[in-house]
Amino acid sequence: MKKSDSSEQRSNRKWHLTSEDMWGYAFIAVAMIVFCVFTVYPVFSAFVTSFHKYKPLGSIFVGVENYQNTFTNRLFYKAIWNTLVYTIFTVPFSLCISFVVAVLVLPFKKKVQSLFKSMYYLPAVASGVALSVVWLWIYDPLPTGLLNSLLAKFGLGNVNWLGSSSTAMFSLILMALLAGHGTQIIIYLAALLGVPSSLFEAADLDGATFLQKLWFIVIPLVKPTTLFLLVTGVIGSFQVFMNAYMMTGGGPDNATTMVGLLIFNNAFKYSDYGLACAQALILAVVIALVSLVQFKLMGEDVEY
Amino acid sequence: MKKFISMVLALAIAAVSLTACGAPTASGGDSASGSASGAEPQTDTITMLLPPVSATYQDQLAVWAKEFNEMYPNLTLEFEKASWEDYKEKLDVQVNAGTPPDIAYVEYDRVGTLADSGLLLDISSMIEKEQLEDFDSNALEFYRLNEGLYGLPIYISVQCLGGNRAMMEQANIDWKSIQKNGWTYEEFRKAIQAGTTDEHYGFIFACAGVTAADYLNIMVKNAGMPAPFDEEMKFAYTSQNFLNLLKCIREIIDDGSTPKEMSSVDAGKRWNMFLTGQTMIFGKGLANFEGLAAANNAKLAANDATAVENSVQADYVVLPVPTFFGQAQQAQGVAGGYSAFRTKKEPDPVHLDNVMKALYFMSSGERAAFTCNELFVSALSESTREAMGKIHNEVPRDPDNAEAMALLTTQVAKPRPDIPAEKSAQATRLLDEVIVPKFQALLAGETTPEQMYEAVKAAAIDTFGADGIVTD
Repeated sequence: MKKSDSSEQRSNRKWHLTSEDMWGYAFIAVAMIVFCVFTVYPVFSAFVTSFHKYKPLGSIFVGVENYQNTFTNRLFYKAIWNTLVYTIFTVPFSLCISFVVAVLVLPFKKKVQSLFKSMYYLPAVASGVALSVVWLWIYDPLPTGLLNSLLAKFGLGNVNWLGSSSTAMFSLILMALLAGHGTQIIIYLAALLGVPSSLFEAADLDGATFLQKLWFIVIPLVKPTTLFLLVTGVIGSFQVFMNAYMMTGGGPDNATTMVGLLIFNNAFKYSDYGLACAQALILAVVIALVSLVQFKLMGEDVEY
Repeated sequence: MKKFISMVLALAIAAVSLTACGAPTASGGDSASGSASGAEPQTDTITMLLPPVSATYQDQLAVWAKEFNEMYPNLTLEFEKASWEDYKEKLDVQVNAGTPPDIAYVEYDRVGTLADSGLLLDISSMIEKEQLEDFDSNALEFYRLNEGLYGLPIYISVQCLGGNRAMMEQANIDWKSIQKNGWTYEEFRKAIQAGTTDEHYGFIFACAGVTAADYLNIMVKNAGMPAPFDEEMKFAYTSQNFLNLLKCIREIIDDGSTPKEMSSVDAGKRWNMFLTGQTMIFGKGLANFEGLAAANNAKLAANDATAVENSVQADYVVLPVPTFFGQAQQAQGVAGGYSAFRTKKEPDPVHLDNVMKALYFMSSGERAAFTCNELFVSALSESTREAMGKIHNEVPRDPDNAEAMALLTTQVAKPRPDIPAEKSAQATRLLDEVIVPKFQALLAGETTPEQMYEAVKAAAIDTFGADGIVTD
């Protein structure tokens, strides 16, 4: 009897809101309202729109036609493939470059570290459009172009960087790899500073080399950071749009058409919002699955 | 107390964020409603979304707003200015949200898409008959779709080729005769071969990214395909002429008369190549390039440091696009004008009447004359022609270029309002997703004309069926 009374009391307490609880919910409500208005509602709206042919004066319900059209469209698969290639080459290499730079910058004094951090972060502050214009200038296709002039000094022939399907994707990947490591370097530096110095002292006593310390101490301890950067990097890379839009327009022969660009074209070029929403939701599912696989493969022994 | 203050601050932040989501204020339709006949006319505001149509067009808007207000004291013109890059996207977003401006600048090839939204107004029964009669009837055709009229044109810009006068004379090319009589592909090929030297190319066309479509669109018209569909409404780019045209385009690259990297030369680069003497002929050329070239020449003569770096004196010559396989000249004309929109709300007749007043005001007389003069193009209405006659230009226009452009304007390929919006949209998608990407590959030497032709034919059959395409 006593036992049942106490469980009843616990149950009553569970549903009884104190003044503290009310304040807690009130504060959460502010963030929840913003989240619902700016995230939940647009996603829900996109889901509903994906079953319609969108028209401002009244959309027409078309069932799963937009999904059918997406899955039977060869360009969609090509765009997925292009995005995958872009992601595979940019994200891991970008992480490696950032990690190496962070390790190289770490031994410096704080002021020198800050100088390097600012230098590497600078491209993140610059507008993507401005960066694209600079890169268009670098990739000037004629022999007088900057990169082609440099190649000519080594006796190499002229390259049509963005105009040939054999080099266009490589050009976009190179552009991504040589710019925009700032955020990753800063995050890696913060993680490296968090590695206890006692571990290095112990390793020194054991006569460990630099590479051994890197392999057995640093890499395992920054694994949560690597996982975080990998997952967010892959998500960002799958949504890449600006580079292809500004540099190649998806060409030549759709060699650089990414899913983001395809969705943009369907929405804003053809005003086919239903199809664009269906493709955006499919992309969201693909990203979620890829992230899940990454967590499964790398995240089991990672604790935050 | 602390909690309360924190809460108020948090709510204020949320409120500021959410305020941005509020629907834009509706244009003056409400204030116009309810004006009884005989009573003082209600005030009304007409909103317009406008890109920089010509060099100083946007600077002139305030003057026109004042003139309009003097003409109709109860009416106010309110302009939303946008750059060329933003304007199309802004208009699309506003239309799809159901809250477009009352009037927007619209190029004729967007009429079908915008009419499909249901918000573009068919003005044929709204505008006064005398106002409509002011316009050249062939110019109005650009804004017709089936039986409806969806805008008023202000200009037709001919997209053609441009040449460097001195270089052409040096290569013994009779450019005056070409301006008057046109030229065939064979003559064009021979000319650009003669104009190719160690210092400059014979011909360059901006083909980077989506601009490749311009090259194809301009050339294909003179190869007997003035529209993507023939008179029997069959898709035309599957004819043998299309294949032969692709062969010609590849041929001049293989000749070495154009750079083999032409597939990634953008519009800015081609203009720079003209000004710096790196090409004899270029495309696309527009009438107002004459003024831009003259301005740079004047800067060079005055040793002005703002002249384009490494540029040389270059006089611009208007040149027609060559004709292929004995076909007639069918110039590529792009009509620009104003269209009127309604919002999701049922339109108020009084406000619509005011919108029509503003539409005609902006499309005719001194306003259109100013725009046409800055673009170096001919007027499309009587009132505009009359106003243009009164404009005095400090730098007179080259008479040969003016004559050549006037001739090309008469040779512009006729618009095809009979093509259904759905078919037109299918053709646009086919062009963007198959034809232009394959064309880019052809220019880069990664596919042959035959392979491209087969790919286009297969995609066209997929879209329109075997009976829906031209087979010859």
